[in-house]
Amino acid sequence: MITIERSTEQINQTVAALRERFGEKVRAVEQPTPHRLYVTIDPDVVVQAADTLFNSLGARYLISAGVDKRPLNGGFEVLHFFAFDQVNVRCALVIPLKGDPPRIPSITPIIPGAGWAEREFQDLLGIIPEGHPDPRPLVLPDGFPEGLYPLRKDYPYDYKPPLDPNKTFPFKEPPEGTTVVTVGPFFPVLEEPSQWRVFVDGEVVVGCDYRGFYNHRAVEKLGDSALTYNQITALAERICGICGCVHSTSYCQAVEEAAGIEVPLRARVIRTLILELERVHSHLLWLGLACHILGFDYVFMQSWRIREPVMWLAEYLTGNRKHFAINLVGGVRRDITKDQHPRILEVMDKVERETKELAETLLNDMPLLVRLKGTGIFTPEEVRLTGAVGPTARGSGVPIDVRKDHPYAAYDLMEFDVVTYDGCDNLARTLVRVGEIFEAIKIIRQCVKLLKELPEGELMAELPDEIPPYRHGMHAVEAPRGEVFHYVLTGENNRPYRWRVRAPSYQNIQAVPVMFKPGTTIADVPITLGSVDPCFSCTERMEIVDVKSNETKVLTEQELYQLSRQKTKELRGQK
Amino acid sequence: MVDSKVKQLLLALRAGRVTFAYPFEPRPSEPGFRGRVVVDTDKCTGCGGCADVCPTRCIRIIDVSPTHRIIRRYLDRCIHCGRCEDVCRYGAVRLDLEYEISTTNKSDLFIEQHLFMGSCSRCGRCYVPPTPLDRLMVVGFRKDEEV
Repeated sequence: MITIERSTEQINQTVAALRERFGEKVRAVEQPTPHRLYVTIDPDVVVQAADTLFNSLGARYLISAGVDKRPLNGGFEVLHFFAFDQVNVRCALVIPLKGDPPRIPSITPIIPGAGWAEREFQDLLGIIPEGHPDPRPLVLPDGFPEGLYPLRKDYPYDYKPPLDPNKTFPFKEPPEGTTVVTVGPFFPVLEEPSQWRVFVDGEVVVGCDYRGFYNHRAVEKLGDSALTYNQITALAERICGICGCVHSTSYCQAVEEAAGIEVPLRARVIRTLILELERVHSHLLWLGLACHILGFDYVFMQSWRIREPVMWLAEYLTGNRKHFAINLVGGVRRDITKDQHPRILEVMDKVERETKELAETLLNDMPLLVRLKGTGIFTPEEVRLTGAVGPTARGSGVPIDVRKDHPYAAYDLMEFDVVTYDGCDNLARTLVRVGEIFEAIKIIRQCVKLLKELPEGELMAELPDEIPPYRHGMHAVEAPRGEVFHYVLTGENNRPYRWRVRAPSYQNIQAVPVMFKPGTTIADVPITLGSVDPCFSCTERMEIVDVKSNETKVLTEQELYQLSRQKTKELRGQK
Repeated sequence: MVDSKVKQLLLALRAGRVTFAYPFEPRPSEPGFRGRVVVDTDKCTGCGGCADVCPTRCIRIIDVSPTHRIIRRYLDRCIHCGRCEDVCRYGAVRLDLEYEISTTNKSDLFIEQHLFMGSCSRCGRCYVPPTPLDRLMVVGFRKDEEV
């Protein structure tokens, strides 16, 4: 049970441990709410401090953010975020930096999951992580002029510098005697255009390299230089095309926390209901697509048929199938009235019944089980190191769930179970998602019951005239794919000074190379990529480069599907 | 295995055909849908509240003279969030149930509206006259070829 006492105890213990180890180097401790802790420390002890939190105290690494604070105090700032699950505490190490370019010791050697975050602030703010094992560019396009950092405050949000066409990305050298299989930049199983270079020896995968962020749209820059607090809710929702509401909810909660706004209970229940509705449709969508990759189109058709009434229900409740636009800072825009309740329950009954039938037939289907079982192994220790979240972590038996560990919206009033499986493979991750559909339906029923009892119309909190500037707010939401984390540093002119978004796939995609265990074959690559549920969208082709002869062969989407389906067929023949 | 295949077959047979013959038969949207943006220019006072909250900033306000304001709505960029409808105190903007609004011509989704405003005697800028009577007094006539 999470109580304020346990949170306070954890915070006191953390502060004591840091003070004892670093003494004067802990410069300030800020505790805006009983569940948040901001510790300002000197840059030279950042690695040891991160080690204390991550290894000694067992915190989970969330993300890092760089802030250009030169207009305020002449320096930069880096924040490393950690979470203590079970006790509902989030903690940030705040490290002020001087000089230009500022330098900070890298924490990636002890926390591998911080690799991307540090490369990102190196690209976008010019803060150099010293001792980073892989300091290649991450976000910026190839040929971006050196010495230009887009997230710095003196960089206009609409400036597009000329790119140097001769520069290419420094890919890793493949190991001796292997062939490179390029998956992407456009590929059916990946949410955004991203490129995987899989090193293969014959059919067997021995390693891989990643290049992504082809579609980086500078959403954070737009948020802290052009839009206002309530305009950002619409932009935040468009970060993801499948689970947009989680971003706007998380963003609103971060701003509300920074400004000390108390959201009415009815609004929180409506947020809960919409979020769970989103989870139901997202998991059904994933189930269909995962089976589609394996050449099992029957499930693709059936699960999308079951999903469709959920989309109509969303349109009925919010005014749109997707991008509900229901959240504003301080509450929600639309009420869910009494006459809408029967239809919600009716749709949920139907979806529950049909999903149960479908899941039963699925889990007795031998070829499917053989394809999923034992592929893409991901151990609990790897979950901790990479910072993977959501069903990807829960499929490895790690019971992290923001809804239980850090209750938000109205989840503290709901009864539900966190679905975990110990299989650590693609099958376990599938079972987790199927189980979560039923839990989500359970929560939606409880929301409807609660809405019946609450007085109608209390949707928005009283907003202060101005959201006070330079306050921190961090909040997370359990998205269908895992934990969505938003950090907001409030600013002047009715907009945030810094807005940092971390989508769950940011951590989960970093975990994919770990899942390619020795013995994985090319045919298992799509489903393993798919099992972390990056939203499938762009469809193109893959390219096979034979390193020795330098021949290039392009596999079309059809041929790749053929490979994956061939394996299912062969297995079916054996059984 | 055969058992589960039979079950799957029965499941699919029971569901039957679920697709619709759209566009050959109409598919009305759900009540409360945020569809086409309809502007009632008679009700609009030109306060500019909608331009203030629009997340894509597709509503532009241009004051060409102290008494003449132009509101341009570039609805090709509209994301149909409906914030303009929320903030309009006069009911001048409405999102109706119509969704078949795709077009090959961008200008089909462009609305330009000319308003005659009160002119502030101190700063000379446009403002919305506070009462209907005041509005009657300032909104007089429209000179041709002004813009």
